[in-house]
Formats: sequence, structure tokens, C-alpha cells
Amino acid sequence: MVVGLAAREAGAQDPRLVSRLDKPTEAAVTAIVDSARAAKLPTAPLVDKALEGAAAGSDGPRIVGAVRNLAARMATAKHVLGSRATADEIKAAAGSMDFGVTARDLARLHTAAGTRSLTMPLAVLTDLLGRGVALATATNLVDQLTRAGIKDSELSLFQRDVRVDIEHGADPAVAATTRGHGLLLKHSRSPARPAE
Amino acid sequence: MRDGDNESIEQVADELRGTVPVSAGFDARVMRAVRAMPRHVRRVSFWSRLTTPRTLVVTPWSWGLVAASVLVLAGLGVVQLSEALHAAAGPAATALFSKASKPATQRVQFVLVAPDAKKVAVVGDFNGWDASHAAYQAKHRGGGVWSVTAPIPVGHHRYSFVVDDSLWVADPTAPRAPDNDFGLPNSAIVVEADK
Repeated sequence: MVVGLAAREAGAQDPRLVSRLDKPTEAAVTAIVDSARAAKLPTAPLVDKALEGAAAGSDGPRIVGAVRNLAARMATAKHVLGSRATADEIKAAAGSMDFGVTARDLARLHTAAGTRSLTMPLAVLTDLLGRGVALATATNLVDQLTRAGIKDSELSLFQRDVRVDIEHGADPAVAATTRGHGLLLKHSRSPARPAE
Repeated sequence: MRDGDNESIEQVADELRGTVPVSAGFDARVMRAVRAMPRHVRRVSFWSRLTTPRTLVVTPWSWGLVAASVLVLAGLGVVQLSEALHAAAGPAATALFSKASKPATQRVQFVLVAPDAKKVAVVGDFNGWDASHAAYQAKHRGGGVWSVTAPIPVGHHRYSFVVDDSLWVADPTAPRAPDNDFGLPNSAIVVEADK
């Protein structure tokens, strides 16, 4: 029974891939997904990437290439963040690498984070990059916030404040650095709190 | 002791060592008497029954049968136990259990201004990028404004609007997600759980 289950896991076909991709593409994507599973990488983002490609009307080779690139990014992220990295951390790291965040940047953030989860800091970094803040500015700012032990809840508020500022017409980099430095100042004046 | 006395003692000892002759019906008479006696019911306490060690003899083939039965029953038991817990725990606990097993969702409103559109849908990693998904079809509210409020799992997501089943449009109010893979614009959204 256990052997049967394992076999089913290894060759499992996602019905959505079967219905939306042509056979060769589906087979190639499934193979990448199976390899990722064996490497203990999250597989849902890979399936999602293939479905996105199908919805976008992309051809098979482009879809397979995109899925393969994502798998490679997740593998790099896992290598940098370590074997204890969670699926959310790996996904967030791979997403930030889409914006040009390097393995070196990830390693720096990983060191800054210590034992806390990197998911929220990476999400904030990706959000800042997505709003047009330059890579170096965003990475340095998130690194400072993470080293200072700013909690995830405070990072979430910071993210929201930056968004509101930009919606009111502020320059993204100015909004991010102003809010970020304010948060660091406030944190340095408060009694020491353990990071989440 | 004198020799004469020793001899007497030996004679008495020999006599005592000898078997006692009994009549033929002696055994039968004794057993009849024993059977006729009232049965003495030995009262054993419950605790004694539990703690008294017992010897159980099991043959090798029956051990295999027992092990197989235990495995089957354990497998069935896990399924039935979880179902029983669901049934017995009540709706609140079931909801809590459901929350633990699948991510929570929040109702999120998506708005796009597209005066020339005839159809607008939201696609993303929360609905398999399926433009035909019923829950994510936007309604025209007038003045070229299309909107839909749909359940989105808590977490980080990428999405886009699809106009007239062909044109992908990023959400102008959301941060952009990189579009290196398929050349189409996507937006990013972070859905937070209710505090």
C-alpha cells in the first residue's frame, strides 16, 4: 500500500495540466515537478507557472522554459536559505529573484534574519521592487529593517504606509526610505524586544 | 542404645514404610464424597483479575493474522476516527479544523476602468489563471468601471485582468510583478488575515 502511494506520488499528473497543456509539454512539466518534489521544493508554484503560460497562450517550449527557470530559482533559494527554509520562504525568495535579487543578496538577508522567518522581509522587498524602488535601495532598506529585528506585523504596516504614500503621489524610493528610517528610529528608541 | 532396641525400631519402621492396604471401593467412596461437597466459589476481585499475569500461547501463523488485522483496523480506524471527531466536535470545531487544513481566505475587491471592454475577468495563481472561472468575472458598474469581489487565500499572489478574453491588463493600483516569463503584465497582491 505504501509502495503504491509512493508510485502514485512520483508520477502524479495534475488534471489541470493534462487539460490545458499539450501532451509533450504536460509530460515535460510533470517531469520538472517530480524532480522538484524529490528535491523537497514546493511544487505548487511550478504548476501555477505552467497554468499561467497556458492561459497566456504561450507555446510549449516557452512554458517548459519558464517552469524550469522557476525550479532553478527555487533550488538556488533553498541552497542559500538552507534545508530548513520553508516553502513560503523559498517561494518568496524565488519571487524576489525575478526582480534581480541575487543569491548574495539573499544570503545577506538570511544572515540578517538569524532564526526568524524571511518570508515577510522578502515579501516587503518584492513589493518595494514591484513599486519601482531601485534594487540596491530596497535591498539595503530591508536588510536594515531585518537586522534591527522589526517584527513582521510592523513590516506589514510599513508596507501599507509606503503603498498609501505612493498612491498619494510620493516617489516610491522616497516613500520607502522615509518610512523605513522612521521605523528604525522608533525601534531604536523603544526598549529592546525580541524579534519574531 | 542396646542392639535389641535397634532391632525393634527397625521392625516398626519397616511396618510403617509398607503400603497401607485399602479396599477396592475406597477410591470410589472418597470421590463420591468429594463431589457431594458444596462448591466453594473463590471470589476474585476485579483488580486481581486485571493484575494477575496470564500466559497466552500464539502460533506463528496466528501472529501474522493478528498483525495484518491490526494494520487494517488501524487504517480504517484513522479514517473513522477523524470523521467521528468531525461529527462529534460540532460546527465550530470543524470550522477550526478546516481552517487548519486549508488556507483562510479574504474577500478582495478588484476594480478596473475599461470603458471599451465587453468582458473582464480576474486571473491569478489563486484560480489557476482561469479566465472562465465564474467567481472571478467582473460586473460592469457603469462609466466603464468593472469590479468583482472574490475570495482570495491569505498570502502573496500574482494576478492580472483579462479583457475580452484576450488582453491582459495589470492592475494600475497594485505593484507590478515581473513579467519575464510570458511577456504579459501581472500585478502582486498581499492578502492578510483578519486581525
